[in-house]
Amino acid sequence: MFKYDVYINSLADLPEEKEIKLSVRDLTPGKQRYAYKHVMAKVSADADKYPDKLQVRFGRGQIHSQPYSIQVMKEVSIIPERWL
Amino acid sequence: MFIDNREYIKALDAAGELVTINQEVDWDLEAGAIVRKVCEEKGPSPLMNKIKDYPGHRYFGAPLASYRKLAISLGLPPESSIPEIAAVYLERTNKEPVKPVLVDKSKAPCKENIFIGDKADMLELLPAPMVHEGDGGRYLSTWHFIVTKDPDNGDVNWGMYRQMVYDGKTMTGNLLPFSDGGKVFHGKYKPAGKAMPFATVIGPDPISAIAASAPAPMPETDFAGMLMGKPIELVKCETVDLEVPAHAEIIIEGEILPDVSLEEGPFGEYTGYRTSPRDFRQVYRVKAITFRNDPITTISNMGVPTDEGQLLRSFSLGLEMDKLLRSQGIPITGVYMMPESTHHLVIVGVKPIYTNIAAQIAQTVFGSKLGPWFHMVVVVDDKCDIYNFNEVLHALTTKCHPINGIHIWQGVGTPLYPFLSAAERTNSVGPKVLFDCTFPLNWDPMSEVPSLVSFKTVYPKEIQEKVLANWKNYGFKS
Ligand SMILES: Cc1cc2nc3c(=O)[nH]c(=O)nc-3n(C[C@H](O)[C@H](O)[C@H](O)COP(=O)(O)O)c2cc1C
Repeated sequence: MFKYDVYINSLADLPEEKEIKLSVRDLTPGKQRYAYKHVMAKVSADADKYPDKLQVRFGRGQIHSQPYSIQVMKEVSIIPERWL
Repeated sequence: MFIDNREYIKALDAAGELVTINQEVDWDLEAGAIVRKVCEEKGPSPLMNKIKDYPGHRYFGAPLASYRKLAISLGLPPESSIPEIAAVYLERTNKEPVKPVLVDKSKAPCKENIFIGDKADMLELLPAPMVHEGDGGRYLSTWHFIVTKDPDNGDVNWGMYRQMVYDGKTMTGNLLPFSDGGKVFHGKYKPAGKAMPFATVIGPDPISAIAASAPAPMPETDFAGMLMGKPIELVKCETVDLEVPAHAEIIIEGEILPDVSLEEGPFGEYTGYRTSPRDFRQVYRVKAITFRNDPITTISNMGVPTDEGQLLRSFSLGLEMDKLLRSQGIPITGVYMMPESTHHLVIVGVKPIYTNIAAQIAQTVFGSKLGPWFHMVVVVDDKCDIYNFNEVLHALTTKCHPINGIHIWQGVGTPLYPFLSAAERTNSVGPKVLFDCTFPLNWDPMSEVPSLVSFKTVYPKEIQEKVLANWKNYGFKS
């Protein structure tokens, strides 16, 4: 099980149970902790619905008390090819 | 003066301003919490010799967060007073610019380890700290500077602009459009669709860091040389056409992308709040990383006073205002910006020889390049000691007329002001206020101006001298 977090401005940025594009941070302990990943994923306010955990934070870092769950479908590249 | 942070650290140790921590410290919040507590207690700088997950790396926290440390960095006795330190800074920076010199790679310790291309992975190589809980990421660049060049005239800029590690090869940052680096990126590279080469210098010598955080009126390479009293030694970068200080600890080279923005922040800022919300900001792509053996990452922890950003920005903003006002022939007695105000409040002393001189002072400083960073000007007369907060507060609360003495303007302001609305922040709106603490000149000094009641002003000289001479005899200790 992985743990991620996501920053949003309002809960409307996080529609449940449909495939959405998100920037999440990987919270796995170790050197890669807090690295960003761009993913296609489904999320739910039911903490047990999807395999991985998702912590929700608002724009200035405040943690939402409701734990979410997430299913990452795939990672997407965000930097255009010409700059890689 | 110190050629690198290692010599400076030794001097801090000798002056009792260093604590060496040999037990393991976690880069994930623990190091940040140590530095924060040091700032809030004005304590000695911590040198952390063992960092979790990153053997061989070290941290140096709160490098310049007190006037004692600033005095040491300038080669002065630690107990020097603020006006003494200010006088030395003004004396050195009013001389001729001192151009840097280029040294060979073999004489540049920052080249002891070189990683280029895919091997230059920040997460693997560098212990970017998670400074505050809730920050949008690990901020590798908190006490550092970014080197860039103007593509038209070749002018070099060193600017302290924060950088957050996004992934191993990418950082994001908040390059404000009114900063010198921001003007070149937003005004030249971005419209031309060209990537702007950059080199981030982490762990520069203390003087170069002071120069980079100052609103220097010339390339900071030369400004640092003036403060140092000799040329700064630079070395060529590996992958970009830029030069960096040869004795710095860590160099990250790459380019700022003109047409991509990614999430940055939030971050605990110098105002003592996390104000700027997460937003899409500049993207730095990394091409190379070089560092010294046993490299020392500098950490500044911005928050409530006093951190080095607040102290040094107050110091240099105030003294550049001093130069500006004198260059206009305004008879000021001095300028002091209070670090405790997070460089938002400046006190200007003046000989009030004509009416409305306070408004002229405020308009000059608000309208200058320094203006976006502060919004409160307090003008006191030449009898008030600008460094004595009790005297300034007394003048403010007794001489400033609430209707005639307070003037407000709308100007350019940093979006980091916590009191701004979201719309004001987006549009760089900066409200400004002047507190004129001088009595009107048309009041008759004999019959209208209130006379100050203090030991120094209401007793004849011979009484003062008698009382002072007998002070201990009366039974007072000092
Ligand atoms: C620790 C620290 C962090 C800073 N971060 C930023 C930043 O992210 N963006 C910015 O535009 N200015 C930032 N500043 C302010 C600039 O460093 C300051 O404006 C400096 O004068 C830049 O030089 P310039 O006049 O060449 O732009 C920061 C200052 C300090 C002390």
